[in-house]
Amino acid sequence: MRTQNATAYRFLTPYLLIFAIFWIWPIISSFLISFQATRTVPWRFAPTFNWGRLIGDPAFYNALKNTLLILVIQVPVMISLAIVMAVLLNSPLLKARGLYRFAFFAPVVVGEVAYSAVFRLMFSLDFGIINKLLNSVGIPKVDWFSNVTPAMALIMIAVTWRWAGYNAIIILAGLQSIPEDVYEAATLDRVSRLRQFFHITLPLLKPVIVFCAVLSIIGTMQLFTEPFLITERGGPGGGTETLGLLLYRQGFRSLNFGYASAVAYTMAGLAIAITLVQLWLTRDPK
Amino acid sequence: MAAVTLTNVVKRFGVYEVVHGADIDIADGEFVVFVGPSGCGKSTLLRMIAGLEDISGGKIAIGGKVVNDVEPADRGIAMVFQSYALYPHMTVEQNLSFGLRMNGNPKADTERRVKRAAEILRIDELMQRRPKQLSGGQRQRVAIGRAIVREPQVFLFDEPLSNLDAELRVQMRVEISRLHKELGVTMVYVTHDQTEAMTLADRIVVLKAGNVEQIGAPLDLYDDPANRFVAGFIGSPKMNFLGAKVVETSNSAAIIELVNHGGVKLHKPLREAFPAVGAEVVLGVRPEHFFEAGEGDCDIPVKADVAEHLGSVSYVYANAGPEELIVEREASRQRASGDHFTVSIKAERSLLFDKAGARIR
Repeated sequence: MRTQNATAYRFLTPYLLIFAIFWIWPIISSFLISFQATRTVPWRFAPTFNWGRLIGDPAFYNALKNTLLILVIQVPVMISLAIVMAVLLNSPLLKARGLYRFAFFAPVVVGEVAYSAVFRLMFSLDFGIINKLLNSVGIPKVDWFSNVTPAMALIMIAVTWRWAGYNAIIILAGLQSIPEDVYEAATLDRVSRLRQFFHITLPLLKPVIVFCAVLSIIGTMQLFTEPFLITERGGPGGGTETLGLLLYRQGFRSLNFGYASAVAYTMAGLAIAITLVQLWLTRDPK
Repeated sequence: MAAVTLTNVVKRFGVYEVVHGADIDIADGEFVVFVGPSGCGKSTLLRMIAGLEDISGGKIAIGGKVVNDVEPADRGIAMVFQSYALYPHMTVEQNLSFGLRMNGNPKADTERRVKRAAEILRIDELMQRRPKQLSGGQRQRVAIGRAIVREPQVFLFDEPLSNLDAELRVQMRVEISRLHKELGVTMVYVTHDQTEAMTLADRIVVLKAGNVEQIGAPLDLYDDPANRFVAGFIGSPKMNFLGAKVVETSNSAAIIELVNHGGVKLHKPLREAFPAVGAEVVLGVRPEHFFEAGEGDCDIPVKADVAEHLGSVSYVYANAGPEELIVEREASRQRASGDHFTVSIKAERSLLFDKAGARIR
């Protein structure tokens, strides 16, 4: 058995080496970098330099506020929408189900730059179809890119469009694992479809919904593409800057790797903390 | 309590007809078992009674009222599913009371019904457990309990014991029988297991490929099957079928020759039908109806292949020409593999079927 294990590990060595160099080491390294002042040459160890700055940095609090705001509003809306989409996809009355599944999933595989460009066009002040539609029902044009509230709404709409279908497909798999005879038993118990949904479907979907929520929380904590490409680097005036964008700005525009690493660890820590709180809140009663 | 009447009930799935005009009368308080091989339409019939499947043709009446277009919940039935269909996220107590709570039943009455069901099924200790914390037998009890709290006119059971091990199956079979006596309500029970059917039923409905083959009391079906299918399906081990040919007829009997046993002849008295001379027929003999050599009307030499000794009896799987026969013997007369012995057939303990399988009486 020991020889077998040794052979297996020898075969695994190339992968483990690459994993260690490009995965484990950067994680450790960035943690160490977060305790160094990286804008001096050579870098010097200064434990409170970056973390101290983080605590007092208004830009960090702005990015944190924006990220949490998106998290609190967008994730529940998107998951709710995904559940509705999954239930519709699961309906035996639906024709061309495969087509809808593809359509709902397609946004995930569309290139980020292309989708961002299309969103910018659609929400453009003068030429966008959204403003034209709003106008046609008597609502004045909205300047989606120059005001903070519409810009934040735009980010949330875009993220929801992109990921709701993806979550719907995961939830659909959960829905299909609920045995049909449980619903038949409820039908014999004179439980309406709506009550079946709230008293049977939702509780049985809980593990899948929690899984989707955890994925979405992690994704939102890292949100970068939409504020970078759609609202032009967190505009207007940092109004949509997220932690992901702050990290990018500090690390790759200002080349302040120490501070960027501290932001990265803060993001990861928050994602873990929020996920743990959520898992605790939705745990199964003993 | 209520009688259930099925009149010319037809079920089609698209162009495929799976139940071809079933006529079944189930009396008030009767325990009727639908039995048949997979795909015979027994579960479909039960689901049509429950209202979980639409009826393509005919009428179903419960308690004298046609229920073709009545919602499942309004039919006065309760159903126990093969997979139990318990709500996995609810405790046993919540499972039992769910339907009543959802329908605004008074709390005191709900508690009374749940308590009564728990007492009947002896599951009082399990009330705070969830289904995954229960054994198969306990789950089945809860599923039956959920049916009891509805206080239905008719209980429907869809292969409720098929997921249990053999010992538990026997135990639950007795409990269901006891429950029927205690509650006295009409019960319709679906199974593919003829032993379950024989032990539980007041009457058995034998189905094959969507047709009702025969309806009758268990021993009536056993002793007097309408055709070869029923004869072969009811009884374990199954009836032996020996190829034969009519060589002579009179107005009260036929003389048949067992074609695979060296032309052995049997004088078979008949009452109703007389096959033509030369007609191919099949002689049916139950394993326990083979007698010792010379005790019957004709003897057949056989060679023991495998013997199963069950204690009180032994089943000898014996070769007789191209036919394999199952012979029941008392344990004291055990046979070993390779033994040659002779069995005897009595005309009055054998059944005759025509080539198509219809009974010749």
